Amino acid sequence: MFDLFFRKFNEKVSLSAEEETFVKQYLTPKKLRKKQYFLQEGDTGKGICFVEKGALRAYVLDEAGAEHITAFAFEGYTIGDLYSFLHSEPATLNIDALEDCELMIISKQSHDELLQKMPKYETYIRLLITDAYIALQRRTTTMISLPLEERYVAFTQMFPTMFQRVPQHMIASYMGLSAETLSRVRSRLSKGK
Amino acid sequence: MSTKQTIAIIGATGNMGSALAKTLSKGNNRLLLFANNQEKVKALVDDIKSTNKKADVEGIECPTNASWEADIIVMAVPFAVEKEIATRIKEVANQKVVISIANPLNENYDGLVTPPDTSAAEELQKLLPNSKVVKAFNTVFATVFTTPVIDDKQVDVLIAGNDGNAMVTVSELVQTAGFNPVVTGELLVSRTLENMALLLIQLTVKNNWNWQAGFKVLHN
Repeated sequence: MFDLFFRKFNEKVSLSAEEETFVKQYLTPKKLRKKQYFLQEGDTGKGICFVEKGALRAYVLDEAGAEHITAFAFEGYTIGDLYSFLHSEPATLNIDALEDCELMIISKQSHDELLQKMPKYETYIRLLITDAYIALQRRTTTMISLPLEERYVAFTQMFPTMFQRVPQHMIASYMGLSAETLSRVRSRLSKGK
Repeated sequence: MSTKQTIAIIGATGNMGSALAKTLSKGNNRLLLFANNQEKVKALVDDIKSTNKKADVEGIECPTNASWEADIIVMAVPFAVEKEIATRIKEVANQKVVISIANPLNENYDGLVTPPDTSAAEELQKLLPNSKVVKAFNTVFATVFTTPVIDDKQVDVLIAGNDGNAMVTVSELVQTAGFNPVVTGELLVSRTLENMALLLIQLTVKNNWNWQAGFKVLHN
């Protein structure tokens, strides 16, 4: 149940068996079924979640009620509303399960205690957020600088899992395109081959 | 709209378990009901849905899975069975609120089986060291849940626990159930609460109160 969490943790910062036991007591294992929410806009105090199994997406709703997907999370990823989590403010994101999920949740309370008691946890979180920042930077750069076809190819290389497990209309939303535009891009690319 | 919290009720078909299931199904909760007798669980689910079509409630065949999916776990099994259940849910109940409603009564209902220096709730906390055990609902009878008002007074639910956030969560559930929450103190106070339940049972039997009795802390 905790396997992948600690495998990923150890890739960043190596923990002894005793240290793993120490961290473990702060984690909340949680199963989520497909279509259930981990958090909804307006929730407070929801924590961040590490994905042991399954897939989730984060999205915002615009004034017309349309969904705009901001992130996907698969096995080994961490997802949450970081602003809401760190500042204990109401969430602006919605996060729901695209598949049945097994999650490992870190509450704000656990996070604060671990930061205080365990320097290795602080290192882990720093590296996690650094990685997330780099990924965001790459995504933004791709979004604003590449023509559509190249953007699509870049995304397939950056997020191969996403293209296998997520429906096309959600990928289109994540790329800021309409489903029709994405479909045209895909058909142009396949003809070009 | 806030995200529904999932509540697992372990021992859902007993008097207290089913009373809690019926009342908590009225709030913004998703209920997972577990009991050994699956047919009784199904009957309870049907009963709840027949009175409240919107109720988000279902039976589940395994207490471990129920607790794994849950945000809050209600231990509605007799004290004698808690150890066995606790072993099965220990890992998945990590960091979660676990509500201890049991009163460790002896066979004759004239004493407690726990020694005076502990309580059912504290024993449960020892079995689930990483969970947030809260004593609640042990001083109210299942028969009072349909109308938690006696003699024109809203019945109190006395709560004890060590985690501040967990006390807030449980107080909200108590309100959903129509009772008045009274936060008493640390989990240690559960010794007093379990003895209060014993006293209430003895008084109710002695005076033929027909299980319509409860506590109300009067204050200015």
